[in-house]
Amino acid sequence: MSSFWIVLLSVIGGTVLSSLLACLPGLHVYNVMGALVLLILGLEGTAYSIPADVFVPAMTGMVVGWAMLNTIPSVLLGTPDESALFTVLPGQKYLMAGRGYEGTMLTALGGLAGAFFLILVVAPCAPRYLPVAQQVLKGHMHWVLWVIITFMLMSEWPKGGNRGPAGWAKFYDAWKTLLAGLATFLLAGLLGFILLTRSPVDHTVAFQNIMPAFVGLFAIPWCLLNIISAADVPKQFIAKSLDVNGDVILRSVWSGGLGGGIAAYFPIVTGGVGGMLAGHATAQRDERIFIMGQGVSKFIYYVGSFMLLFVPGLYLTRGGGAWMIKTLYTPRGDADYFLVLGCISIAAAISYLMMSPLARATLWLIDRFNYRHVSSVALVIILAMVLLVTGWVGLFIAIVGTGIGLLPVLFGSRRLNCLGILLLPIACNMSGFGETITGWLGLT
Amino acid sequence: MKGFSHFMSGVAVASFGPWAIEAALQGNPIYFILGGACGILPDTLDFKFYRFFYEHDVYVTPDPAHLDPQYVADEIARAVAMAADEKRYIRLKLVSIRLGADFWQQYKVQFDNEKMTVTVKFGPVVNTGQVPVRGTENRYPAVGCAPLKAKVVQTYDAQLRVDIFDGPTVGLAPREDGGLELEFLPWHREWSHALTVGIFLGILWALISVFIGGWSMAWQGFVTIAACYGVHVVEDQLGHMGSNLFYPFSKNRTPGLHWMHSGDGLPNFLTVWISCILIFWNLYRGQPAMTYHFTFLHLIMVSLVVPGVIFWVLRKLLNRATTEEVMKGDDADDEWNEMKAAGS
Repeated sequence: MSSFWIVLLSVIGGTVLSSLLACLPGLHVYNVMGALVLLILGLEGTAYSIPADVFVPAMTGMVVGWAMLNTIPSVLLGTPDESALFTVLPGQKYLMAGRGYEGTMLTALGGLAGAFFLILVVAPCAPRYLPVAQQVLKGHMHWVLWVIITFMLMSEWPKGGNRGPAGWAKFYDAWKTLLAGLATFLLAGLLGFILLTRSPVDHTVAFQNIMPAFVGLFAIPWCLLNIISAADVPKQFIAKSLDVNGDVILRSVWSGGLGGGIAAYFPIVTGGVGGMLAGHATAQRDERIFIMGQGVSKFIYYVGSFMLLFVPGLYLTRGGGAWMIKTLYTPRGDADYFLVLGCISIAAAISYLMMSPLARATLWLIDRFNYRHVSSVALVIILAMVLLVTGWVGLFIAIVGTGIGLLPVLFGSRRLNCLGILLLPIACNMSGFGETITGWLGLT
Repeated sequence: MKGFSHFMSGVAVASFGPWAIEAALQGNPIYFILGGACGILPDTLDFKFYRFFYEHDVYVTPDPAHLDPQYVADEIARAVAMAADEKRYIRLKLVSIRLGADFWQQYKVQFDNEKMTVTVKFGPVVNTGQVPVRGTENRYPAVGCAPLKAKVVQTYDAQLRVDIFDGPTVGLAPREDGGLELEFLPWHREWSHALTVGIFLGILWALISVFIGGWSMAWQGFVTIAACYGVHVVEDQLGHMGSNLFYPFSKNRTPGLHWMHSGDGLPNFLTVWISCILIFWNLYRGQPAMTYHFTFLHLIMVSLVVPGVIFWVLRKLLNRATTEEVMKGDDADDEWNEMKAAGS
């Protein structure tokens, strides 16, 4: 079989596989890719070794398919990973208004717009300008993280203090949510210090050591909330048109491109932060732009960070997908870059086309079964996944993460504060005083 | 302007200090953190501190169990009468109506100076994203109406809308012609948006840090704080509402230049983007041993002019057959609603 067909079939296979997996709540594509990496390494040197022509396109397809379709469990089943955090609230509002299909399709359209932006605008400029940017910014990554943390904490709105006479009582009522947000950030940061310094997870699955904490912080609280609140999902309508014009697309691309671009380029700045920045750069009064912007941001974060590994002259490793493929393969020259760009284009088209049938199928599922039961099943799948990959220790970490992740739910503060798990320890490490803090904590 | 735009402007201004870049290269992020924090601080002081201590003369608190628009109209008319009769500044608080964890009853207030009335109408139930819940639009068809004792002059032609989180404060200031001037959020940009406050905070920092980091840390921190705080005030001055620039030496807000509304998408995005470009340029200048070299003009062409032209052409092409009407609000109204929406 010629290389063309091998690459084409591999990218199609990877995209279809991850598109289907993306519909399963709690499962992250990086978990599956991690298992694949172990398999490929295991087969190396045997008669069944898998060549780069197969796994590079397949993994590209997996990242693209995931970036496009993980909106389905986030919005329709209420089990987001952190990158989809900002899509969930407006997305679930759409669901509760009988417009869940429209919400997911708007995000997918954002993803497609992000693909066009990445391939037609970013990709041609990247080899020329990104190495320059990297040389300028390489000593400054740490303060960018601190600045993002500062903005994240300072931009939260106090939810209480809405009634009663002026004074300290009103002030305290307002600041309860903000203090809960700060506590969430610090507790998540503490958990992060422990997991990144002395992870109790077995070393054979060390690359998954943060996964149970993420599941606990982000996905499980949402499932529990869905089960407890037992909201009845109204009958869903399949919209014939998304009511989107060129202006909406362009404005989504500019806000999502900025947020997703920052998340893709700067280390540890994840899709959730990208989504927050995209939200702040958006005209908030138009929810279509907000939702589409989140789709753009998510796509650029996942796929853009993966693409950076292949940019000639840059070869920057950002994001879990790139780190995993780097253990198997070292990209070289223009040929690899064009191969990956081609794979991204094909995968984006396929995954966008799969969005509608998969969203309809999930809506059918929700319609047929009680939403509380669907959420319960989602929770069981998530817990089983954590247990399977990281064992009982992982499950314990997930429970600890859930405790922290429930704080924002109980106090109405911002859930993004849970990202302190990565932001705080890594920012401290990058600024050079991480070891002092782990010393205080008795970890080193 | 939006919080994010102010924040990025603050970081950009901080990057002009060579000491900030030098410290950052040695792993010390303090000046950039100060820059961003002071860039957003004037709004933080208003929206997260001062408003909770702002006393009101009249509180309009509708009962969620018995929603009565006439009660709201009567209370507003009472506040107007107080301001007109007693010839003093009256602070009126329109309290929001929470119906559930994520639901709020919206109501709108409109002053009609020809009929000399105030009308109040309950609108739809909205969620915390300010999206109306379907089927609740016409639950309360009754309109509350009360006569006004004086004309209420608004600086912009809009209804007062009360929905999520905290309701707005309205100031009623007596005028020489016997009417009243309506000030939306009088506690906003009252003293916090002053260049003098930035200088004061800078001095405070310098007094503390001189004992920790010596003289250089003191004056460098002073310059960073005063400049980054000041850029917020200057940016807000481009809008309509203006700021009280030299508090306590000045008492009233100096009107803005009317170049933009604080919620406008394009000026906000441009501010963020230009800030990113300026930060990049300053980092480039401070980076030792660069192998790539470019001029400021080159950077502006590549990062602003060329993409801007492409964007403009694309926008023209994509919107040939459509016209989009953008509702213009007031600076305070924009900031109030968008900060609530963005910060949730």
